[in-house]
Order: sequence, then C-alpha cells, then structure tokens
Amino acid sequence: KYDSASRMIGIQREITDRAIELLRLDSSKPSFILDIGCGSGLSGQVLEEHGHVWVGCDVSRDMLTVANERLTRQPKEDAKMLDEDDEEDEEENPSTGDLMHHDMGTGLPFRPATFDACISISALQWLCYSNAKNQIPKKRLVRFFSSLYTVLRRGGRAVLQFYPETAEQAILISECAAKVGFAGGIVVDYPNSAKAKKHYLVLSFDKAQKQPQGLTDASLLHNSTGVRVDSEEKSQKRRPVRKKKGVKTKEWIIHKKETQRRRGKEVRPDTKYTARRRPHKF
Amino acid sequence: MRLLTHNTLRNSSQKAKGEGFPLKITATEIRVEEAPVLTEDEQQLSFVKGILGMLDWSALVKAASEMGLENALPPMLTEDLVKDEDFLRALFHVLMNVHLVNGILTCPVTGREFPVMDGIPNMMLEEEECEAVRI
Repeated sequence: KYDSASRMIGIQREITDRAIELLRLDSSKPSFILDIGCGSGLSGQVLEEHGHVWVGCDVSRDMLTVANERLTRQPKEDAKMLDEDDEEDEEENPSTGDLMHHDMGTGLPFRPATFDACISISALQWLCYSNAKNQIPKKRLVRFFSSLYTVLRRGGRAVLQFYPETAEQAILISECAAKVGFAGGIVVDYPNSAKAKKHYLVLSFDKAQKQPQGLTDASLLHNSTGVRVDSEEKSQKRRPVRKKKGVKTKEWIIHKKETQRRRGKEVRPDTKYTARRRPHKF
Repeated sequence: MRLLTHNTLRNSSQKAKGEGFPLKITATEIRVEEAPVLTEDEQQLSFVKGILGMLDWSALVKAASEMGLENALPPMLTEDLVKDEDFLRALFHVLMNVHLVNGILTCPVTGREFPVMDGIPNMMLEEEECEAVRI
C-alpha cells in the first residue's frame, strides 16, 4: 500500500508526464524547457528523464533547497522511495536542470524567445491570491502571461496544470492568458471524477491549432458525486447512455470494454455475441 | 547556475526598461562538472544546434571570461564553426558544465544586484519594482 508521501510523488509524476504529452514536443532532440513553480524539483526530474534541459523557478527558498539537493545528488531522506524504479541508480549523470528564486507574478526575467516550451505543475492557482497588500491578482496574472508570451519561442507551447478552487478562478486564468494574445484553453482530464479531475491550461501561438482532447474514463462515471465546478464545460466525447435503469446498451458495453482494454485489463474480444441477451436461466 | 541560464537572464524591473541584459557576473565560487550531462553525444549536438540561434554570443563570451574562462570561446560565431562538431561539443561543455555557485549578478543599466547562493540566483523583485500592467 502507498504511504501518502510516495502517493503524492506518484501523482505529481503522472501529472508531469501528461503535461509533457500535451506539449507535443519535437521528439528528435532535447528541448529547453521552463518549469514554473518547480517546487522540490519533482517535475524537473521527470523532464530530465525525458531527456530535456530545464530551468525551474519557485518563490519558496525552502523548496528550492530540497530541489538543489536532488540536482547536486546529495543524499536525502526520501531518496529511498524513489529507488523503487531504480531510476537513481541508472542516472550517473549530473542534472540538466537549473534553479532560480523568483515570483512568477512579477514577470519572468528572461530575454525574448529563449525557451522551446514551458510547463507548470500545481502552481498557477497561487497567482489568484494576493500575498501582500499591494498585490492585485489580475495584475499579477496578466504580467505573468504577458512575460510568458514574450519568453517563449514562436511555435512553442505552454502547459500549466493547476487546481482551480472555483469556476471563476479557472475563467479568470484563461481570460488573462487570452488577453495577452495566447491561443488555446483549458483541457480537463476525467471531468466527472472529483478525485481524478485535472485542469491543464494549454497555450500556443497558433489560433488555428486544434485543442487536444481531455481524458475520460467511462467506469468513473458511476462514482461521480458532488457539484461539478465547471458546469459550462462539456466532456469532449459523448458518453453512451444506459437505456433505462439496469439495462445496458450494446454501445455502452463495447465502450466499457474498450476502456478496460486501455487500462490493460484482459477483455474478451468483441464478437456478434457481445451484449446479446443471454438465454434465460433454467 | 550554468552559463546557458545566465545567457537568458535579464533584469525585468521597470527601471531597466527592457535593457537589463547581460547581467555582469562577480564570481566568488565556481564549479566545473566533468561528467557528461546528456548521455549521448548525438543528444548533446542536437541540443546545441537547436539553441545556437537563441544565444546572445557576445554576452556569452563576456560571461565566460567573467567566470575565469578567458579564451574558451571565439569572439565571433562563424559559419565554419557552426558546422564543426568538436566546436559544438566544446560549446556544450561551456554552456552546461560551468556553474556559478556563489556570486553576484549586476544589472548593467540600473546597478541592481541579484545575489547567487548555492547555485541559485535570487531574482525576486518587489511589487514596486515591477513593470506596470494595464488591466
């Protein structure tokens, strides 16, 4: 069974992997990537495993100290947890990352068009709160997005995963991004699961580009509870519906089998007998 | 902080008016890594070729000499050099393996100082120093 710290690490890794997938990078060469709100360097480590060079910023000096230990390969208490995958053993090389103490709301301190891409994991929502009397969230958001627009190379993308507390926050964030000229929007994975739901702000310079699809999982539909924060957003796929209570349609069954296959479970092949009513029991 | 990162850094405060680059390096402690950072030579070469267009060459040469690498880099980038793979490997080393551990970065326009401690530059600005925003 996971303990809570290694479960958190696992989730953050998954989110980072998904963000990198959404970036749709040129896989033929390492990219130069900005990691905003890099925290303890977990997302940076994932970027390294994908073979990229990165620069991470964070407003917390303490988190950066932890990240620095990871970068300079000094022994840490939770190094044992990461050893599960033998990743630490494989990597004899020094890190491809660099760290910086910086508050994203003050505008990114880089020359124009320096980074191929940008990711941010679980950090963006902090811009919605004022930390001091003279800070206005909307101002900080616009300043941040405006500077992000400048420091990304043309054709580059940014994927920022965040946790909106309310629908208004999600709207404010995407409006500020649009205001500075970015194309794109929010991609939601697992919109019907309170636990698994994740928001990714996917930004680019090309308004003609099609937005990537959010992930859905039909089996999660049954467990969804509570109020959906983003009631305006519809799930990308039309999910098949049960005809009436207790009766499953063929479409629903095939969709569910497909989902199970995707999760790697063993599923019987689809034949002409699939979803057919079974003969009555003797 | 490696030379690659330094080449991208600028003072983004209002006073610098977009000219806060390059930051002057006053180095008190430096570290040079000898081990390879990206495992494959091909990866290193493709990375360097990819970022070559982005680098500010004169700023890089100046920064390298401020870090004690007096003649590590040629003063100008020529077409022949760009095609020379040995040159690109040496450039990769200079960009990726030379780290400023402790020192100060100074803005050429305003004189504002950004300390570097333990390899981490402190680029924190106060709200008043930031560029104005219209919302």
